[in-house]
Amino acid sequence: MRRFGPKDRLSRTNGLPSTELDQETVLMSIDAGAYYGLAGAARSIWEKLENPTSFSELVDCLVWEYRVSRETCASDLQKFLEELEREGLLRVE
Amino acid sequence: MFLNTYWAYGLNIHTDLVCSELPRHPHPINDPDVTIILLPHESGTLRPLPDCCYEVQPRCFRLDVPGVARYRVEEGKRIIIEPLANASPEKVRLFLLGSTMSALLYQRGLLPLHGSAVETQWGGMIFVGAQGSGKSTLAAEFHRCGYRLLSDDVSAVESTPQDLRILPASAQFRLCANAYERLGASPEACFDVDKFAVPMGERYCPDPVPLRAIHILSDQSAELPRFEVVRGLDRVRRLFENLYRPHFLKGQRTQKDLVCMAGVIAQRATLAAVSRRRDRTDTGDLVRFLELNWAERFGSVSARGKN
Repeated sequence: MRRFGPKDRLSRTNGLPSTELDQETVLMSIDAGAYYGLAGAARSIWEKLENPTSFSELVDCLVWEYRVSRETCASDLQKFLEELEREGLLRVE
Repeated sequence: MFLNTYWAYGLNIHTDLVCSELPRHPHPINDPDVTIILLPHESGTLRPLPDCCYEVQPRCFRLDVPGVARYRVEEGKRIIIEPLANASPEKVRLFLLGSTMSALLYQRGLLPLHGSAVETQWGGMIFVGAQGSGKSTLAAEFHRCGYRLLSDDVSAVESTPQDLRILPASAQFRLCANAYERLGASPEACFDVDKFAVPMGERYCPDPVPLRAIHILSDQSAELPRFEVVRGLDRVRRLFENLYRPHFLKGQRTQKDLVCMAGVIAQRATLAAVSRRRDRTDTGDLVRFLELNWAERFGSVSARGKN
């Protein structure tokens, strides 16, 4: 399993169409016939990934936004990013 | 100069082909949105597809129907048809108005839903569902009860800043023999193996109607019919499941617009799953069941039909 380094530049992979539904962002992979619903913190992270952002910058933003400890935030973010990468939605540079 | 001018899906369509299925343009204008060009039989202009029956490219769609015709759709503006030897004109039109037209709608950034549309006093209602789920039969029953119809089999919705609107598209509906007998009308043509084409006549609604709800029809084993509003992410999933020829969507350059539009439809219209036990639920009873549900959800209206 990948551990993201603090300086890894993270962004969305290109081209997955999305739409807004209530308080969720819905991503659709038409080729794979798959749907992803992102709400709350997941949605906020997805928005930040529109432009390349480092892992530590993401942690900084989320700690401030959600008032959580740096440790908890980094660990949860790590899990979420792994999931995005597994689904082919994350670019790491 | 083309011989015929039609008006369907909000498009001004010019063609030499006579299509009794399409509504005539009430005020023909010279500037067409779409032209349909009919080539001579087996003219050799459209080359056959090597190993498949259709091909989607960003600006061009091709469809080969063995024994019927080859179709090419370009830029959402032009359809070229090359009929094969001995193809019946009815079958050439059948694949033109179904598969080929849906590819054109995808190219133009419209979502073709696999279903029929009815105008009611609560707004436009669409009925989608799998093949044979009873969409046209139900639409025909609404027609018999005095409602006006907007389309049969393929319905398209347009998004405007003010609202979502169902675009009128078809001046007739196609019914299986049972439903046709119940309607008691004389068929204009009989072409789709076991389906009869019935003109909508005066009860065709030629104007776009604001979309109120989309209903997904299915069978169930329980006795009483059910009306369940679909919520959450499922709304987008079920909309895409009920597109007409959804595999034609892959490779379209309008994908982003179409997904965005699905979100707008899911957000602004009601999506409901309607299921009934087919052998125990009369189509007329299903119409009344739906009217009661609409009155309860969207407000009671005293008289049937349009206000």
